[in-house]
Amino acid sequence: MGWWQRLRRSLLVHSFLQDPLAVASAVVLLVLLIASLGAPWIAPYNPYDPSTVDILDSEIPPIWMPDGDARFLLGTDTQGRDMLSTMLYGMRVSLMIGIGAVVLQAALGILVGMASGYFGKKLDAFLMRLTDVQLSFSTYMVAIFFGAIFQSAFGMGTYERLAIPLLIVIIGVAEWPQYARTVRASVLAEKKKEYVEAARVAGLSTSRIMWRHILPNTMTPVLVISTVQVANAIMSEAALSFIGLGMPVTRPSLGSLIKAGFDYIFSGSWWITLFPGIALVILILAINLLGDWLRDYLNPKIYKG
Amino acid sequence: MFAFAIRRIVQAMLVMLVISILGFSIKQSVGDPIRELTGISVSETEREALRQQLGLNDPFLVQWARFVKNAVHGDLGNSFYFKRPAMEVILSKAPATLELVFVASIIVIVFSVPIGIYAAVKPTSWLSRICMGASIVGVSIPVFLTAILLIYVFSVQLGWLPAYGRGELVEIFPGWQSGLVTTDGLLHLILPSIALSSIMLPLFIRLIRAEMKEVLEAEYIKFARAKGLRERRILLVHAFKNTLLPVITVGGVQLGTMIAFTILTETVFNWQGMGSMFIESINRADTSLTVAYMVFVGFVFVVVNTVVDLIYGVVNPMVRIAGRK
Amino acid sequence: MRRFPLLLLAAMLLAVSPAMAAPKVLRLALDADPVSMDPHVQLSGGMLQYSHLVFDPLVRWTQDMQFEPRLAEKWERIDDLTMRFHLRHGVKFHSGNELTAEDVVWTLNRLLRSTDFKGLFDGFSAKAVDKYTVDISTREPYGLLLNMATYIFPMDSKFYTGTDEKGKPKDAIVKTDWSFANEHESGTGPFTVALREPGQKWILKRFADYWDKNSGNIDEIILTPIPEDATRVAALLAGDVDFISPVPPQDYDRIDNAKDAKLITMDGTRVITLQANMKRRPEFQDVRVRTALNLAINNEGIVKRIMKGRAKAAGQNSPEGYAGHNPALTPRYDLEKAKALMKEAGYEKGFTVSMIAPNNRYVNDEKIAEAVVGMLAKIGIKVELKTMPKAQYWDQFDAQVADIQMIGWHSDTEDSANFFEYLNMCPNKETGKGQYNSANYCNPKVDELTMAANKETDLEKRAKMLQEVETILYNDAAFIPLHWQMLSWACSPKLKNADKIVNVMNFPYFGDLIME
Repeated sequence: MGWWQRLRRSLLVHSFLQDPLAVASAVVLLVLLIASLGAPWIAPYNPYDPSTVDILDSEIPPIWMPDGDARFLLGTDTQGRDMLSTMLYGMRVSLMIGIGAVVLQAALGILVGMASGYFGKKLDAFLMRLTDVQLSFSTYMVAIFFGAIFQSAFGMGTYERLAIPLLIVIIGVAEWPQYARTVRASVLAEKKKEYVEAARVAGLSTSRIMWRHILPNTMTPVLVISTVQVANAIMSEAALSFIGLGMPVTRPSLGSLIKAGFDYIFSGSWWITLFPGIALVILILAINLLGDWLRDYLNPKIYKG
Repeated sequence: MFAFAIRRIVQAMLVMLVISILGFSIKQSVGDPIRELTGISVSETEREALRQQLGLNDPFLVQWARFVKNAVHGDLGNSFYFKRPAMEVILSKAPATLELVFVASIIVIVFSVPIGIYAAVKPTSWLSRICMGASIVGVSIPVFLTAILLIYVFSVQLGWLPAYGRGELVEIFPGWQSGLVTTDGLLHLILPSIALSSIMLPLFIRLIRAEMKEVLEAEYIKFARAKGLRERRILLVHAFKNTLLPVITVGGVQLGTMIAFTILTETVFNWQGMGSMFIESINRADTSLTVAYMVFVGFVFVVVNTVVDLIYGVVNPMVRIAGRK
Repeated sequence: MRRFPLLLLAAMLLAVSPAMAAPKVLRLALDADPVSMDPHVQLSGGMLQYSHLVFDPLVRWTQDMQFEPRLAEKWERIDDLTMRFHLRHGVKFHSGNELTAEDVVWTLNRLLRSTDFKGLFDGFSAKAVDKYTVDISTREPYGLLLNMATYIFPMDSKFYTGTDEKGKPKDAIVKTDWSFANEHESGTGPFTVALREPGQKWILKRFADYWDKNSGNIDEIILTPIPEDATRVAALLAGDVDFISPVPPQDYDRIDNAKDAKLITMDGTRVITLQANMKRRPEFQDVRVRTALNLAINNEGIVKRIMKGRAKAAGQNSPEGYAGHNPALTPRYDLEKAKALMKEAGYEKGFTVSMIAPNNRYVNDEKIAEAVVGMLAKIGIKVELKTMPKAQYWDQFDAQVADIQMIGWHSDTEDSANFFEYLNMCPNKETGKGQYNSANYCNPKVDELTMAANKETDLEKRAKMLQEVETILYNDAAFIPLHWQMLSWACSPKLKNADKIVNVMNFPYFGDLIME
């Protein structure tokens, strides 16, 4: 029996294939992932190479409109960049930031949650107050804070190159409490179980108990909230870019594209905002639908909130 | 209980201190207020003199200590732009935000409760499938995009509803300019409150449905059914009541998110509340107002959290030992 | 909810009462409201707009840049240093006090105390000759004395004398706190402030005793700041407001085509430029490289696409109409020549530079900067661009953190020399010249000619000198001129003479506005 057949028979895959919505959203997500991560090879133009862009090509409508241009399938933006290429690159940026930020959130959150849940007492109180501080500082404030530190540390010219890691740090640091609370709750639940007690009596070291026994058992809720968190992180990035704290104009994400087009939506050039907007919604929707299915399937006890 | 309360309050005060340090360190680097206060042709010497006069040249810790000392007395400094105490400015902007949040919350409650319950009771009916489908689409559309679309359709294309500002206001009691008592004010509230509720509504529908489903499987509901109680009574009195606590808890935790969403909504609709005031204070390098806002929001947040904890502590003594769930 | 019956009653009363002339209310939406009620607290476009609403200057500019008598009926030069102004008789302040020469002297003395104005009025003094005559003199001969008189908006010295309820002097100029002058006004202008909610709403009412009976017919102005461009335009098109400023270029055509809105544009005098820093980058010390920068940038393209044709491509600082304007100095876009120059200078492969620009200061500043990145890429110069809000920009500009920096300039004196003094003269901390010269361009000839021009009272000779400076700057490629921003306003067609009350300084004279 090949691995494929074994996989097909597994409960997870079986349930997945039974749910057409999950399959459909997985397919959409896969297509978007390939298209955006493969943007340098797929996109007709390279929007990061300013020498190929001509300002005289700006605001050309999509190809099916009266003034459309055969070179630009979805039209061009206010700088004369091909919308399709810019969107593919932009989606790549959004995805990189979304996934990167969630990895960071999870790492921070798991660490804090484990420590807090396992050791309890003073440390727990301290860490939970820390999450309070964090929660009261919305992502914007974190963005302003890090943006300011960044500027004095690295100077101006590097912003363009370092904006992606910077945003990963910002959203990662701003939104980890969700993980910390989830992990802490499941650690508290696990800790009471007999196997932990048994391991302790058997003389296993604390770190071994934590990493080898408790951690794997908290992974289900972590996995489930991760999908939602990726979607949220992408939205956070878009919102940051929308109020001007995100990606620079020369390296746009979907959010900064929407922002750039906002001024033009009323003056008739609707495609500059609408296409990236639709792309953003489809991307987030696909992730959310998959997350929904995963949640229903795994049905973990999740810390709510 | 008393010791717990004291401990919790001390912690809350420490949290406030940390927030004020963080907020204050941001102040140092978001922009130069002197630049916004003077014309462009003013010489460097004049600007330096003004900076000295405002105490902006003092070391960080000196400025911070001065801020904390005054903050304890409720004085968060003067807004450079408004030229009056920052606290006064924030409070004058609060009604706008509160009214917006109030109307959005009403929308959320009125729609999420029946839809959530229905979707939990009849999960397979086509109506609840549509609602759940719509709700997942709803959480996937960023607030600012919803806001832009609403303005485009209802204000620019159809011309039905106003797209900016609060409309005609009436002072209902000193310091509270209300838009809730005039037709014009209510019309101006429609689009922003829909935009704001567009992200919370689907979240709450999904939450209520999930909680309700869980409760419906509980023993006591089965027991109630077996006893032959009327279905409506079972749902509303027994089941729904028990979903309320987790829902309210989540609502409390979502406060921070809600604040973030009001910032976006207010910016797009030119709504003169605390959110747009915050963004404008940054744009104007009105740094003292920026810090005051952050400390104020932090304060509200910490108070809410502390109070919730204390109530939990009363209701469930276990919490005092294990910490909040 | 108690209010409803009352409102209803009022509406019914209105319906039955005989038709009376409805008050003419102008609903005005600007990007920001004035920061104070004290005209001396800040020198900015917004405050000057406010000054023209609530105060009156001694003289003011007409649309074709001539002087028009206001509070000064006539004036004459009595010697090289002094000019005598004869005040209009019987002009009332909003408080009821009468305007006298003492008020003018008091106002000039207050200007000399203001952080923002003392630089402009350096060396000025005033003396009352009699009740209605005042002499204004300068320390050295100054050709632009009358230009400066447009900044003197007499304040009610009696009203502002004494101490307020907090025990502070009423005439204190306070930038960041409550002060009497920040919250009260008494000018001679066409409007009085009836209500002020900073950042939210102003209500200005016509001053019943206004001296100029031949002015406009607006009874009340409701001023609302709407910072978001798109929202401001939407408000005008929806009929929620009657007059907006500024208008974003992308909406010009839409407003032009709308039948309920009228677009008014004027060639502006604010020049947008880029400065390539020679201290930071040795490459820019080579005049060939600097010229290549100028040749590579397609000013016309930026004007056509980003500014939608509503700006004028520039080849120099001075716009047409200024003394220093030299018609021969035109934009010089030539990509091939630019590449050749780069090759000649030994930079065929190009190099990488950093650049900063504001993103909420000038019309479409961020998009212009982005377009420049693309244009310079074509001659091999890779630009790393960072844009930021103006609140953070000027600190960075002063610190010269980037190799190329954007700056726009409007001459406060409506004269060419002002451009050179701030943007092109050798930077000098003591004299304050070259304060915004981040190119660090320094040519003694430019300094010499500019200073000499300021003391020259023969206007023809003076113009020659200023034009020569422009030519030197052009040949040295001292900076990169982009375009002169157009000024734009839009209003409802019921404002009959809206196109007559605007001017290139962007101080619309709302007192003269006539509404149907």
